[in-house]
Amino acid sequence: MKYVAKKSKEGVNVSDVHPLVEAGTLVVGLTAIAVAIVLLLVFLVEVALYFVPAETEAELFADWLPEDLVTISPSDDRLYEAQMLVNRLSAHWADAPYPFRVEVDDSSIANAMALPGGLIIVTQGLLDEVESENELAFVLGHELGHFRNRDHLRALGRGLVLALFFTVVTGNDVAGIGINVADITLRGFNREQESDADEFGLALVYAEYGHVDEAWRLFERWDEHRDGMPAVVSYLATHPDAGDRVEQLERLAEARQWPVTGGVTPLKR
Amino acid sequence: MEDTVNNISLFFNFGVPILLLVLAFFIGNMIEKGHFRNIRKREADVHGFPVVSFDTMPEEWRADSCTLVSGSIVISLDYFKRVIAGLRGLVGGRIKTYEPLLERARREALLRMTEAAREQGYDAVFNVRLETSRLANARRDGNGIAGVEMLAFGTAVRFAGRAR
Repeated sequence: MKYVAKKSKEGVNVSDVHPLVEAGTLVVGLTAIAVAIVLLLVFLVEVALYFVPAETEAELFADWLPEDLVTISPSDDRLYEAQMLVNRLSAHWADAPYPFRVEVDDSSIANAMALPGGLIIVTQGLLDEVESENELAFVLGHELGHFRNRDHLRALGRGLVLALFFTVVTGNDVAGIGINVADITLRGFNREQESDADEFGLALVYAEYGHVDEAWRLFERWDEHRDGMPAVVSYLATHPDAGDRVEQLERLAEARQWPVTGGVTPLKR
Repeated sequence: MEDTVNNISLFFNFGVPILLLVLAFFIGNMIEKGHFRNIRKREADVHGFPVVSFDTMPEEWRADSCTLVSGSIVISLDYFKRVIAGLRGLVGGRIKTYEPLLERARREALLRMTEAAREQGYDAVFNVRLETSRLANARRDGNGIAGVEMLAFGTAVRFAGRAR
């Protein structure tokens, strides 16, 4: 047998695919799969929401409070006042699913939030910012609007699904992610959910006072001094831009022919 | 202030890995192309030198001396290849970014072995074998891969009656 020297054939063992093509295919393909899975899960959350009645929600979260919440003294007048205001506003909501609880967070950062089980949290910072009962009523009415549209549960469901999904994909320990219900619930209400909540909130304010005078004065003030107000950054981070919102509310009041004058009710301080 | 903190954490979470990925791709690609050029040139140099994998010496060969020759290379993957392979690991299939890496390792190891035989005055190598082993990474509890070793070895022979 004769040894014949031959040049070895190139590329037998190497796929003729540019690494960037391989990278692109994988990234695009996997992203498409991930998006499809997330959309499916989000859709399933919507389906699940349909099957979770408000009574069940109220039962599940009856005594629940976010772990990191530091409330002010229960005997504080401002807490009582906010609770009474919520009661008055929700009285105009004929089929309110459950009684609403108000807690005041001992934080100087202005924010208000709607959490599962009819829990409304307002911060001290927000109470310091509002200058009339009408302003506070609108903020609280807006949060009631989130309950009416069940935005808080939708956000919670989506947040849970996304947290689980990323945990599985990144291979982290599922037990280790420490799902924070309050955190997840607050992460994302979209523009439409916000303006729906605004509309409902303003309707409640109108039902309570017979006019919407000064209801959005708070946002006008924030819009006028948008710089140098670190305290309101938190509220604006989870809510729409104050200026856009004022315009939208003005248009809404005009369309519904809700009077924009009528005198304000001062806060009882 | 909050924005600055967010931007910094965004940069470290996404910017740095992407920067590394781009850098690893360009540098890794350059090194790989250079290595392949070098391999082709040296393969042309040793072209015609018999290297076979029979485990016994071919009958026509008349040898008067023999020795063990070996060539080995330790080669590492770059960050880009590793990341793409990681993505590939999610769905399975050929890890195409590793193929040229191992091809380089095989050919380089065989070349080193062949060059060693020729330099020592031998005329051919038979019973050539390839072995590979994984080098564990000292970090990450030895779970990561620092690189692979490719070892080629065989029996080099000098043909009888050849004038030297």
